[in-house]
Amino acid sequence: MSAFRKSGRGHGVGTKAVSFSFDGQSYQGVEGDTVASALLANGVHLMGRSFKYHRPRGVVGAGSEEPNALITVDCGTGRVTPNVRATTQEIYDGLTVRSQNSYPDLKFDLGAFNNVFSMFFPAGFYNKTFMWPKGFWDKVYEPFIRNLAGLGPAPEADDPDVYASSYGHCDILIVGAGPAGIAAALSAAKKGGRVILADENPDLGGSLLSTAGVEIEGQPAEKWLAKSLRALEKSDNVTLMPRMTAIGYFHDNFVALSERLTHHKKTQPGKAREELHRIRAGQVILAQGGIERPLVFNGNDKPGVMLASAAHTYLNRYGVAVGKEAVVFTSHDSAYHAAFDLADANIRIAAIVDARDAPNASVIAEANRRGIDVKTGAVISKTFGKLRVSAVEVYEPKLGAKTKVGCDAVLMSGGWTPSLHLWSHSKGGIKWSPALSAYVPDEANENAICVGACNGDFGIAEALSAGNKAGGGRKSFAVTEPEFGTGEVFNSLPNYITETKQKSFVDFQNDVTEKDIKLAVREGFKSIEHVKRYTTNGMATDQGKTSNLNALEIASKAVGKPIEKVGLTTFRPPYTPTTFGTFVGYRDGELFDPTRKTSIDPWADENGAVFEPVGIWRRAWYFPKAGEDMHAAVARECKATRDSLGIFDASTLGKIEVVGPDAAKFMNLMYTNPWSALPVGGCRYGLMCRDDGYIYDDGVVGRMAEDRFHVTTTTGGAPRVYRHMEDYLQTEFQHLDVWLTSTTEQWAVIAINGPNARKLIAPLVEGIDLSPEAFPHMTLREGMICGVPTRLFRVSFTGELGFEINVPSHYGRAVWEALIEAGQQYDICPYGTETMHVLRAEKGFIIVGQDTDGTVTAHDAGMSWAVSKKKKDFVGKRSLARPDLVADGRKQLVGLLTEDANVVLEEGAQIVDDPNQPIPMDMLGHVTSSYWSETLGRSIAMAVVRDGLSHMDSTLHVPIADTVHKVKVVKPVFYDPKGERLNAV
Amino acid sequence: MQFDQAIDIPDVLLRDDLTVSLADERLRYSLRIKSENLVAFKKITSLKLPSKINSSTRSSKEICIKFGPDEWLVITDPARAKTLGKAFAKASKEFVCSVTEVSHRNVAFTISGERAAQLINVGCPLDLSLDAFPVGKVTRTVFESAQIVLLRSGETEFYIECWRSFGPYLRDFFTRFVTTRL
Repeated sequence: MSAFRKSGRGHGVGTKAVSFSFDGQSYQGVEGDTVASALLANGVHLMGRSFKYHRPRGVVGAGSEEPNALITVDCGTGRVTPNVRATTQEIYDGLTVRSQNSYPDLKFDLGAFNNVFSMFFPAGFYNKTFMWPKGFWDKVYEPFIRNLAGLGPAPEADDPDVYASSYGHCDILIVGAGPAGIAAALSAAKKGGRVILADENPDLGGSLLSTAGVEIEGQPAEKWLAKSLRALEKSDNVTLMPRMTAIGYFHDNFVALSERLTHHKKTQPGKAREELHRIRAGQVILAQGGIERPLVFNGNDKPGVMLASAAHTYLNRYGVAVGKEAVVFTSHDSAYHAAFDLADANIRIAAIVDARDAPNASVIAEANRRGIDVKTGAVISKTFGKLRVSAVEVYEPKLGAKTKVGCDAVLMSGGWTPSLHLWSHSKGGIKWSPALSAYVPDEANENAICVGACNGDFGIAEALSAGNKAGGGRKSFAVTEPEFGTGEVFNSLPNYITETKQKSFVDFQNDVTEKDIKLAVREGFKSIEHVKRYTTNGMATDQGKTSNLNALEIASKAVGKPIEKVGLTTFRPPYTPTTFGTFVGYRDGELFDPTRKTSIDPWADENGAVFEPVGIWRRAWYFPKAGEDMHAAVARECKATRDSLGIFDASTLGKIEVVGPDAAKFMNLMYTNPWSALPVGGCRYGLMCRDDGYIYDDGVVGRMAEDRFHVTTTTGGAPRVYRHMEDYLQTEFQHLDVWLTSTTEQWAVIAINGPNARKLIAPLVEGIDLSPEAFPHMTLREGMICGVPTRLFRVSFTGELGFEINVPSHYGRAVWEALIEAGQQYDICPYGTETMHVLRAEKGFIIVGQDTDGTVTAHDAGMSWAVSKKKKDFVGKRSLARPDLVADGRKQLVGLLTEDANVVLEEGAQIVDDPNQPIPMDMLGHVTSSYWSETLGRSIAMAVVRDGLSHMDSTLHVPIADTVHKVKVVKPVFYDPKGERLNAV
Repeated sequence: MQFDQAIDIPDVLLRDDLTVSLADERLRYSLRIKSENLVAFKKITSLKLPSKINSSTRSSKEICIKFGPDEWLVITDPARAKTLGKAFAKASKEFVCSVTEVSHRNVAFTISGERAAQLINVGCPLDLSLDAFPVGKVTRTVFESAQIVLLRSGETEFYIECWRSFGPYLRDFFTRFVTTRL
């Protein structure tokens, strides 16, 4: 057993030896140890270097509030976690951890030169220094600051681990399993609702694990605890959740908790490392406890200086003595009891230094009885030792006396701070308690209650009865425990050393000293929120758990206002640093978002398609053959379709079935076109506006029956069009008997285009006369194809003879394959979205969202023909008459032909009249669509241009990079303007 | 023609405490009926349409779900297509209603076993205790980024419908949970 391990102590550890490595050196701890407790058991206090001055630092606390002992846990490539608190990382065989902020090593750190020059790094030095010369900022200063500023290594590789998440519900969620939380759970369990008891530690028990000599109900506390936990485990309605940190408390009792599943074990590839629990609770009982406050004195950051309660916890939970000889420096009675207990474990208490003139007589008497030297009205004015405290100087201002006292540990206590973090997340009110010199909970905002120390009720008996009551009980507990006592808070400790030569740390993690805060106030920052930002106090990963109230006291004194007037900084989630993995949960890689695939997608995948995302759909972009790039593949697909036959998967088109006796009336209101006269079996291109008159969506609509329309939308527009229609139906048009059903996924849609389209489907179709007379362009028929039902549309988005074959989705692939097979005789060519875009552009068909951008009207797009002039009303009608929408100077859709037929303009390129005008030029518009047209053997483009129609046949200019391209403005129809191919027989 | 829902269920989803299976071919209709016509509609079609929102009627071959004041989903045996088609045509002649076939729009999973609720709570924020979500209750809800219809068909059995293209996403999520968390 190591020198500092105490037999007979250690509620939370076993006896099995565990080996781990710290900074390359192997250490032994025991099962149940944290890295901090195991290192302390080996006599190691130096665990890190500070952030700004690289000062040697040791452990200050024993729990998640730890500001100093931040380590990097290295579990291999991609599994390196920085800024883990040594006080919460459990050890296991083979664990590898490293200190941070030290180079070349912890004991000799080059960065410590900052400490020597610390007078140059006062509060706000970022804002004051490095301002000149300006050019030095990004090349010299910023890299320098960034290099120094890191609190641990940023990850260099992808995290190979997986994370989990889940939702949960309960009637009562209890956060914190100390005496208050456990008592609450015991009484709540009896009431029968679902109870969850969560605690961030591996062992439940809280302060009961840290104390000695406490009796509850006539039994030693540890026995009462074990019995209580057994009872809770047996309760069907209680779930105990250790290693579970409540990180955030949101509206309506929605609490996020992060569970560390495997941090205490060897890496388990493929198994979830952490789980985010999102729990909705009927009631929340917060039993988060309190955090001891450090004292702000010169040299208080030396390794070996720690909170008295931490030393107490190390002794009783881990069986570890934090030194052989300790000086206690306190302004609160509670530290005396820690001192007495350490003395009972044969740790010599060299002195108790009490800043108060007249501490509680009973603790003085007990100290005297034990022969411990107590100096009242005294302070520690300096500490000795380089990498570990070796002695302190005790200064008694009234006597003017200075005494050097040898020690290897200093236990400090400046009183206690109730943990208000989650309470504040829930927007619970707080009030200042002069008795505690701390804020305590006031009015609740949620159905929540604070019990025990986090409510300002210290002591185990108080905690037990408050917890029991909150859980619905009425029990009082017989408890034997040392009196919690009282304390006094000092907003400044006396010292004979001039302030400028002192280093009295307030925020250990961000290296903020007392004089930094005073400087901030002197420089005009009067609100604590400003002081915080200027000094960075409380802005490190510990969010000021140990520093906020000390900073507030100092600022309050400096400002000369009572503390309540200085304010309190806001507590924000997460309560403790949380990995990104926890927030991501399962949603990495493939699960980040759904990728919607059509029924034909697997065929495209097997046949070499290159895909592109369209919304959250994945669509076949083009089908390259061996050796083809995109340009060659698209050129071949275009040519094949125009020459003979192309086949295209159009399944992603949105589809909405509009049904009811008022279906046509509704269509008349939602679309700009007229619908009443469309016969059953007829199709019409529909254009949809928002109420502002701008084009919102478009698509072909077929009339299936008098009371039934088959509406298609753009792929990306389907959800918004459905919502737009439903919104109007439920608000403006409630009087109409019509209903909407999304049928996007009911139908697989196969577009067949090309001169041989009819020949292909003729032998496969039953029950439909395909002859041009019986089935002309822009009509639809129902029948069978390949033995399955079809809604067959004769429409074309290519300008060729075209059909869109709708079949029930689960038959989509089979019908597609049958068509591919039957089409071999016509060299059928599967094509993707790129070819579809080119073919439609050759015909001047717009794509909503590409050729329009939410500011284009039907008139701007050259589609006034699609806007009914006879209809009394439709969505957008009144806006279309707005003066600005009918004024000259609007951008209008035109075609562009480059002077050099081989130049394909860049989409988005700006268009100007005179390229010689000074920059910034008067920009007339921009290119919306631009392609190489294999059919025409030249490039084509569409654009929106100011007063574009009046520029027809004139020459404009498109400057791209160093070249200016001449373009001729033309009508945006480049191929078969009369539509002869479309209506081909 | 080959009926293909394009969703394979991996073996890891076939456990004693958790089994996920994909429903085979079903006939589905979205019905919109005004309350004054409900009795007549039920009489003509013989469908056991529930009258309470978010409730269901279930038999071995048919599930009827009520989502809203005028909205039902019927999931039934494909063999019923002709009979129901005639009945719907008759009903549509007699009064105002909307019948839209959505058989191929959806796919369905049955999730059963002791861990069924735990699996659904991976992505669905609803309280699935038997008190809050009793057998027969059904609702439109979400599983992570997918909209689903969730029906409790037994104390430890749930029936989920989603649009076809979201099926693989759900299957992959289910698989991830089982392989990483169990």
